Formats: sequence, structure tokens, C-alpha cells
Amino acid sequence: MKMWLADSPARRTSCRLQFWLPLLFALWASPVRAASPVQLAQEAELNRLRGEVANQVQLSAYDLVDELVVGWKTDPVFDEATPVVLAGVTVPVGLGTGMAALLENHIAAVLAENPSTHVQLVHCPTCTAVVVHSDAEATVVSRGIDDPAVLAQLGTDTGKHALFIDIEAEGTWLVLRARLTRLTPDLPIVWSRTIASSTSTPALLRASSDLKSAADAREDYLAALHDRGPLTIPVRLGVRAYAAPTDSSGVTVPPFIWLQTGVEMGATDARAWTSSVLVGISFIPQAYQGLMAQARVSRLVTGRTRSLSRPDLYLFLGGAIMTVWGPATAPFQADLLTADDLITSLDGDPPRTTLGTLQIGLDLRLGNRIGLSTFFETIPDRNQSENFGTYTRILGLGFQSFGTEVTFCF
Amino acid sequence: MIIVILGLLFLPTLIHKDPAPGMTMSRTRSRTLECERITAEVASQRYPGKVQPSRPRGEYLERSALVCAERLVRPGLREDRDEAILSSLQALVADLTSSAVDLHPELASRTWLVEAFYPSAPVSAKLSFATKNALVERGLLVSDRTPTLSAGDVDVLTRMPPEQAYPAACRRYNDNGSMGAEHALLAIVSRDPRETILHAGLCADGQWSWLK
Repeated sequence: MKMWLADSPARRTSCRLQFWLPLLFALWASPVRAASPVQLAQEAELNRLRGEVANQVQLSAYDLVDELVVGWKTDPVFDEATPVVLAGVTVPVGLGTGMAALLENHIAAVLAENPSTHVQLVHCPTCTAVVVHSDAEATVVSRGIDDPAVLAQLGTDTGKHALFIDIEAEGTWLVLRARLTRLTPDLPIVWSRTIASSTSTPALLRASSDLKSAADAREDYLAALHDRGPLTIPVRLGVRAYAAPTDSSGVTVPPFIWLQTGVEMGATDARAWTSSVLVGISFIPQAYQGLMAQARVSRLVTGRTRSLSRPDLYLFLGGAIMTVWGPATAPFQADLLTADDLITSLDGDPPRTTLGTLQIGLDLRLGNRIGLSTFFETIPDRNQSENFGTYTRILGLGFQSFGTEVTFCF
Repeated sequence: MIIVILGLLFLPTLIHKDPAPGMTMSRTRSRTLECERITAEVASQRYPGKVQPSRPRGEYLERSALVCAERLVRPGLREDRDEAILSSLQALVADLTSSAVDLHPELASRTWLVEAFYPSAPVSAKLSFATKNALVERGLLVSDRTPTLSAGDVDVLTRMPPEQAYPAACRRYNDNGSMGAEHALLAIVSRDPRETILHAGLCADGQWSWLK
């Protein structure tokens, strides 16, 4: 029978198939086939996408964990410090286990920084390991944490509770689900919570040592962006350049550097209108010194309220009174000044001049913390003076000075 | 003149950012967005600084905001069926648990067990997790315990068609003492690989009933 089969055509065909089928299967399943360029490219693209998504999701997931821990701080589940096993952290399907490891670390870090949660993480390798237990009734293969009766028989000193955390991407929402299970044979769930965060919400990036609720963090965020009260204290560094006189024999006024500070006030929280009063000092040894008082009224021109997300541009009108003295301030005198006048004046007292000015300009504010402004200034009393040229004329008024400033608000 | 005409032609696409597919938005990109229209008041609260609040004396035009957010997981990253289930997981489990609890108020005092039968193990675990949380949030007693069957039971049950297997498994849970009179089991079941909805079955006192 055996010989007949071996010699028969059917047997020969069978032998051929027995030889070729495993070979074909081996070739089909071989790494050579798995590593085809198209498949490799697809896998690489998929891994790149997974990495990109995981990067975006990670901060939001941290945010949800922070919110969970804040909830435990304000409303603890346990009255006293309770050992809890971190039984499982699962991440959105498709994002791999690297993110799970990051999340586990973050959960442990935040809980360690916040002992008032009364959740005390403990290490229990046997709880998370797969345990095989056999007795007269059955053989049970399970994670230790899923069958605490088995763990009890094994004499493992487990934590009293198990914490399970699951994070899933549901459309545009990232949802965190958490539950605490008491490690008794009945495994009752003693607490659970579901928290969601939209993708359009930026992560709050809270410090784990000083956790705040999302509502409090948002209030702080708005307060920081809106204002820190109606008053701010600006510190301003500015330079005023003066136009060269039309007469070539005249002496050009040197640029004046001013350091100013004072008070700025917003009429409302919108800060559409603001006013400021500042005093300033200017001091360049051997050249000039000066004092000034300045007032400005500013109007927001890029909206009705100050923006929280983009720079604001103000148009301002202002006036200043300044008194300057020193050798370099001679051109502020009303009469035409020449180089000969300067030489003859060196022996006497340095000239002192008091001026009133009017300004118009633009002030670009970044988050009400930093301002960059530029303006034209006129000295009405010196409008006909030949010691100054003019940069521009508005309504017949010559603007002899051009200034730029940097402001830091506190 | 030609520049003006071309400018007028493209003006609508420049001044209006629309999430609908068109010249500036591909269909693929549009599909990654989920949009919601909200009132200007709500928008100014949610996005201060980006949307201005209404004037105290009203507006000349009725304003609203269309808020579009990108899906966290791009299409193609997960199996289509898994994506359909997971993207509406919260709504799905809320629907299934409410049907279980509302249809059987007499079981409210029992301890609920949950099992999910779905081809993918990670998705199945997530279904189970979400269902347990939904039941706890409804004030029910829920356990993490899973009822067990012997190897012989599993061998027999896997040979049976689903409409017989689930009731038989329920009877076996009751007979082998895995479930008692104080327990109720809510099973989340995917019955057909082609459908993106889930079914719910209830096992109590050895009796199986389909809820949805």
C-alpha cells in the first residue's frame, strides 16, 4: 500500500506539493517579502504619523493626569495615606507603549509631589505579572491583580487598591478614564472618574509641585494676559534725535537719551484708552543733563479691547516739559547758534533751557509687558528757530524731533 | 484690469476661511476636522481675545462662531471599524448602559460585572473600562471581577452560533457559581464585523436577554 502510494501519480503530486508548499509559504512569510520597499515606506510613514500624534497628545494627556490629581487633592478618595498599585496605564489605540511609559512616570512624579492626595504608589511586580494558580477546582491563568484571592494564597503583600488609567482619543477629544479598585476577592470599584479635554484647548503645563485646578489655572492665565490691575509701572528708555538745521553753518543738536518711569492707567479693563504720567532723567557726562515730566493719552487702534493673543497698537498724543543744561544743550537757545558761539560760551556757565513739547506717535505693546514706540515731537516755542530743521509738518506745525522708545511694564 | 478681475475671482477664498472642501481646503483635510457652531457669547468666553464679546447694546449683525478642531488621530492610523467605535466611545457606552439600567431598574441594587466581546483586545479593554466607569457614574455597584468558565465550557461555547452561545454562557456562569443572585452581567458585544454599532446583552440569574 505504501509502495503503491509512493509510486502513484497522486503520491508524486502530493510529494511535490509537500515540498513546494512549505517553500512557498516560507518565501511568502520570509523577511525578504516583509521588507519590500513599499511596505517599509508605509510602515515608516505610519511610525512617523504615530510619533507626530503622540507628541501632540502627550502634553494634553499630562494635563488630564494633573487634573485628576488636583481632584484628589481637593476631594481625597482616602482619609489617610493608602497604598495603591498602578495596575495599568493604557494609551490611545495606535500610539504604542512608549507613551504609556511616559505617562506612568508623570503619574508617579505628580503623586510623589502631592502627598495630600493620600494616594501612595507602591511597587508590586506580582500584581501585574501573570500568575498561574492550580487547585482542585481549576487552573487559573491571570494577572495577579485580576485574582487577588490567588495573590493572598501566594502570600504576596499587595497594595490595598489598584489604580487603572486609560486615555483614549475620541474624535477631537482626549478622554481620561480612571478607576480605583479595592484588592479583595470581589474587586469592587470604589471610585471612578472621566475627564475630557478638547484638542483646541492648549495644555496648561502646570508645575507638579504647585498644582492648580484647570479653572484656577485659566483665571491666572487670563489675569496675566488681561492685566495685573488698572495701574502699571512703565520703565522706558528712549532716544530723541533732532533734525539738522537748514543752515549748514549751524550746530546740530546731539541725540538725547532719556530714562523715564511713572504710572500708566487704563480707563477700563479693555484698556482701549490709557493715560500715563512719567518723569525722566538724561545724563551724559561733559555733554548734557536733563529732567523731564511727560504725560500721554493713548488710544487702541487695533480693536476695541486689548488682545490676549496678538500685539496691540496704540496711537498716542502727549506733552512734555523738559529742562536741559550742559555744553551740548546750547542749540536749544532761541538764537541761531554757530561754532564760534560755542567756542566763546565754553568759558562761562553752561547754558540751561526749559522747553515744552507736544508729541504724536504709535506704541506697539506686546502682552502689556513690552512696548516699542516711535513718535514725532514738536517744540512750539522753537518753531521758528534756525537751530533746528524739521522732520515733517502736520497742520503747519513743524516736528523737529523724532524719537524711539522701549518700554518695560511692571 | 486683469489683475482686478483675478483679484475679485479669488477674493472670497482669501477673506473667508471655510472648513468645507474647496480651493483652499482638500477633502482629506476637511475630513480631519470636527466643527461646531456656537454663539458669539459662548465663543468669547471659550476663546477670550480671539472672539470679541457682543456690544452691550446689541449688534447690527447676528454673529456666531464656527469652531473647528482637528481629530487627534488622523484617518488611516487605526482600523476603520476601531476608529468608528473609539471616536464615539463615550456616547456609545452611555447609550448602552442607560438602556441596561433604565430597562431593568430591579437590578439597581446588584453588583454589576462587565464584559466586552470585540475582535481587537485593546479596543475590547477600552470598551470594558468605559462601560464600568459609566455604570459607576450612574451610582451602581460595579466590580472588576470577570466571571469565569471552565475550559470544557469554552470549548463547547465556541462551537455554537452566537445567538445560542451567549445564553448558554450565561447559564453556565450561574451554574458554576461564577455569578450569583447578587450579580448582573452587562456584556458589550460586536455581533457583525461589518457594523460599527455595538450591542448590549444582560445576564442575570442565568437568564440572557438582548438589550440593544
